[in-house]
Amino acid sequence: MVTIVVNGAETPVKSSPDTPLLHVLRNELGLTGPQFGCGLAQCGACSVLLGDEEVRSCVLPLAEAVGKAITTLEGLPGRWARSRGAPSHGESPLHPVQQAWIEEQTPLCGFCQSGMMIKATELLEHTPEPTTAQIKEAFTTSGPSPHLCRCGSYTAIIEAVHRASAIMREG
Amino acid sequence: MPVPPADSARLPVLTRRKLLQGGGVLMVGVALYRLQTAGPVGRSLNPAMLNSWIEIRPDNTVLLRTGNSDFGQGTVFTAYRQIVAEELNMSIEAITTIVTGDTDRTPDGGGSYGFLEAGSPNVRKAAAYTYQALLDLGAERLGVPREKLVGEDGAFSVGGRRVTYGDLVKGRDLTLTISVQERWPAGMRIVGDPPTKPVSQYKIIGKSIDNSAIKSKVSATEQWVTDVRLPEMWHARIVRPATLGSKLVSAGAVDSKAFPTARIVVKGDLVAVVSPDEWEASQAALQVTGDTKWTEWQGLPTNAGLYETLRKADWASTPVQQGKNSKEGIRPLLDGAARTLKATYQVPYMKHAPIGPTMAVADVRDDVTTVYTHTQNAQMLRRQIAQMLGVGLDEVVIRTFAGPGHYGRSNGGNAGAEDEAVILSKELGRPVRVQWTRAEDMQWSTQSPAAFSDIEIGLDAKGRMIAFQVDHHMPAMNDNRLIGAVLAGLPTLPPPTEKPPVYGKSTLNLLWDRWTYEGTTEIMERAHGTRQIGQDASPLAIGLRDHSMRSPGQFQQNFARELAISEAAALAGADPLEFRIRHATDPRVVGVLEAVRDASGWQPRPSPAPDHASDGERPVRGRGVSMLYRLDSYWASVCEVSLVPSTGVVTVERCVVAVDPGIVINPKQLQRQVEGGVTMGLSQALKEEVMFDQSGVTATDWAGYPILTMAEMPEIKVVLLNRPEVGCYGGGSEGGNVLAAPAIAAAIHDATGKILRRFPFTPANVLPVLGSG
Repeated sequence: MVTIVVNGAETPVKSSPDTPLLHVLRNELGLTGPQFGCGLAQCGACSVLLGDEEVRSCVLPLAEAVGKAITTLEGLPGRWARSRGAPSHGESPLHPVQQAWIEEQTPLCGFCQSGMMIKATELLEHTPEPTTAQIKEAFTTSGPSPHLCRCGSYTAIIEAVHRASAIMREG
Repeated sequence: MPVPPADSARLPVLTRRKLLQGGGVLMVGVALYRLQTAGPVGRSLNPAMLNSWIEIRPDNTVLLRTGNSDFGQGTVFTAYRQIVAEELNMSIEAITTIVTGDTDRTPDGGGSYGFLEAGSPNVRKAAAYTYQALLDLGAERLGVPREKLVGEDGAFSVGGRRVTYGDLVKGRDLTLTISVQERWPAGMRIVGDPPTKPVSQYKIIGKSIDNSAIKSKVSATEQWVTDVRLPEMWHARIVRPATLGSKLVSAGAVDSKAFPTARIVVKGDLVAVVSPDEWEASQAALQVTGDTKWTEWQGLPTNAGLYETLRKADWASTPVQQGKNSKEGIRPLLDGAARTLKATYQVPYMKHAPIGPTMAVADVRDDVTTVYTHTQNAQMLRRQIAQMLGVGLDEVVIRTFAGPGHYGRSNGGNAGAEDEAVILSKELGRPVRVQWTRAEDMQWSTQSPAAFSDIEIGLDAKGRMIAFQVDHHMPAMNDNRLIGAVLAGLPTLPPPTEKPPVYGKSTLNLLWDRWTYEGTTEIMERAHGTRQIGQDASPLAIGLRDHSMRSPGQFQQNFARELAISEAAALAGADPLEFRIRHATDPRVVGVLEAVRDASGWQPRPSPAPDHASDGERPVRGRGVSMLYRLDSYWASVCEVSLVPSTGVVTVERCVVAVDPGIVINPKQLQRQVEGGVTMGLSQALKEEVMFDQSGVTATDWAGYPILTMAEMPEIKVVLLNRPEVGCYGGGSEGGNVLAAPAIAAAIHDATGKILRRFPFTPANVLPVLGSG
């Protein structure tokens, strides 16, 4: 039994330490935002934030997640609330990235989009006003692999990241 | 889509349905079937009950049921809601609940494709019939003739009195029957022609309402198929045969020290490892894989030998299909033409490549088997599972959920894992979740068939196209077999052969790409079919299994046709866009070409470009055009590319697309669908080809089957042409992927003067052509 910090809460888990974090999140904790896409860190469907860095939970052993703050798609509203000093318990408004994803009607099938929103959050926390070139770089070469979308939502994602940036700057 | 006649004898069919074809009119209050709600008849809905399709609820909200499921098209959550709200004179917000694709909770919708062209008439008619019934009820309640009533925002008002639709149905036992026909395998069709709202009065259709499924997916409240967890459920991984023709010699044993709760299940050539813990199942399966022995098999031609093998295949045993305007006797025109083009075009095998590998959960009980999945054709899957188990249709229920888009792969029933989950659940007596790995999804799923087309075009002295002949060749598409059943030796459909008649199971190839240059009337279009590659040679009868993939068949045919038209224009010394317009007669073909011309700033001139070059390190630029008619929609695109001859690297810099779907129901959603389709098409054109050796597909992951990344995205400009006068809803989710490949090939020719008649346009394919004389 180890304890991990997920979406702001200390959470004891029973899974063996070599279990990929993705399985712990989905099967033990019922956090189903991150998806299983490849199990090889090649697509980004399973992305979560570890501290403020986007990681691939499908290849990250549970043991390596201990002691670091894990944020999944479910935790983005709380993360946004905390970043503004607002109480993060209860129902927080959606993170600007999520708002922008809805306003731009970004997902098609949506299976990759949890990972895309995690990547966007990482990018915007480091680079509040990214250029289109910086967005492309972030989603293609900054991580272990490009974030892949098969439905072809890349154009919508670029537009949504710009919109999220504007919402965040408005506060 | 046109389909060969179905031989339903092979699959169980609900005969009850044939008895349900009623009188053709809506009857209010006449109890032919005493059903107060759209409850199940056995484990099906009664499709002749109007409220099996649309329910007005006492709180004045509406529930819509559709047998189709959503895979990212969004149509059921956008356009269908808009159509219903429009016909009922309700707000879009009142259409609160959409039930999709569950076999016990929706009318049989057939396959989830052609949502607007083929699927929307049901939705529109169900809403229109409901509105007629509401008029009767309103007239009765308000004591006025129904002609005096017009619904507004879900209510009728007369002389200061107002009654909502919800009030009209409250506490009433209403039995509304409609006439339906079963059009197997296309699902139920509502017949009759209820009055529908004139297009000129549309208030909701034409607006960019949001897709109601997006919010739940973005805010992590959607229940995905991947989230289904049942009590006592175990996880399974399959240990696949070593090749596509390997039989099991001996199965390994689970190392019970390392994996104390894992078990192995063997049934024929189906080997699975199961465990209450997913990670244990996954690890134990790897261990068992290493200890399991299979026979060797080498019966595939490899990529290098593919087109030679295809050319030599038996194309004579399958009846040749001709296009409907084809004429015999155009040979003399071709032979006597001033200039002729004669060329062969090749299309590779491509994977549907969903971002999530297929998975399913099954729960086999004594009285009912329930499958939780993300199929595009739940009723077909239900039949297949019933056939495999040897049980009646009423003993199988399919529940569908949101899942990764897979672009046609499951529209004949299965997405891959459902039958394996059923077999294992039956074996273990508990619910089982089968999750395929990325490698299995690459190597054991179906794929889009490879194809080649021989084209001859004759031009007269003035450069006019006087004759066009094409022979399209493509192996059987739509191998709907349950792969787990094949491995386990259980009953399932036969592999596709020359014998018609099971839906999608024959080797028949059709003319999928409609001729759009009707100014040229002397044409001959033929489609030739044959068996799948490796199917007969494999001891498992499993070769390179094929299935329809986004714009199936038409993708293959249109690549050849459109590139040949661009080449013919070059041969005529004509601008390729003007050449197309000059040979078109349909104003919508002309309109969509003019729209893409204007939006792209196209300057007329023949190809290749005056400064074209096929060598050197300096980038050269070119542009190409393509067009398409599909599902009542007209499409045209211009792709602008740059290419470095010394490296063979092709970059698409801009893609301009015009679409005329008739009535644009939802501009924002259509724009997103078009962008998505075009992006997938760019990916196919620039990167995609299934690599295989003599034993099977060698790609195991995204490194072996790369798709487009964000960094490779060009600017995409979309022009939507709304034509309310056309009066119909054309499809916008699908055809977009067809456009890029022929336009890019034409652009490469424009830039370099060299013709590349196959894709992907990778350096490996581009460089040899640039270097050719």
